[in-house]
Amino acid sequence: MDALNNPQLQQLINQEKERAMANEMIAKLTSACWDKCITGTPGSKFSSSESSCLTNCAQRYMDMSVMIVKRFQSMQ
Amino acid sequence: MDSFSSPSSSSPSSQMSAEDFMDQLKVQLAQAYAEEFLETVRGKCFDKCITKPGSSLSGGESSCISRCVDRYIEATGIISRSLFNAQR
Repeated sequence: MDALNNPQLQQLINQEKERAMANEMIAKLTSACWDKCITGTPGSKFSSSESSCLTNCAQRYMDMSVMIVKRFQSMQ
Repeated sequence: MDSFSSPSSSSPSSQMSAEDFMDQLKVQLAQAYAEEFLETVRGKCFDKCITKPGSSLSGGESSCISRCVDRYIEATGIISRSLFNAQR
């Protein structure tokens, strides 16, 4: 197919691949952190502890990922 | 389009079809993202708001669902900002 050699299409595909990866990450973390941080029924506004829990949750997940990679590297 | 045709230099018509294809791809990707998100929100809000299913949705359940959807969207924003903007 001619379209597969189209550089614009290749660019779109690469761009969408990155977007899909970011989307997946955000969706996964939102789901996990929602379960951890939003324990009661959702209110009309997040409490400050809920929103800081969400922020911390995402950032600690990233810290943990780095740690796990390092742990595996140290095993080799 | 047949894959054995000679790789002729891109004619105006094949340029057009590649563009149409890309537009369609974008629409379909957006639809897929939206559907996946919707499915997640359904699951989360069902867990939170419909704890004991009755013969119809109660007023309390309906308002819980509205708040749950709003908060889940907000939570998605908070998570993506904390991942991509606050990297120090």
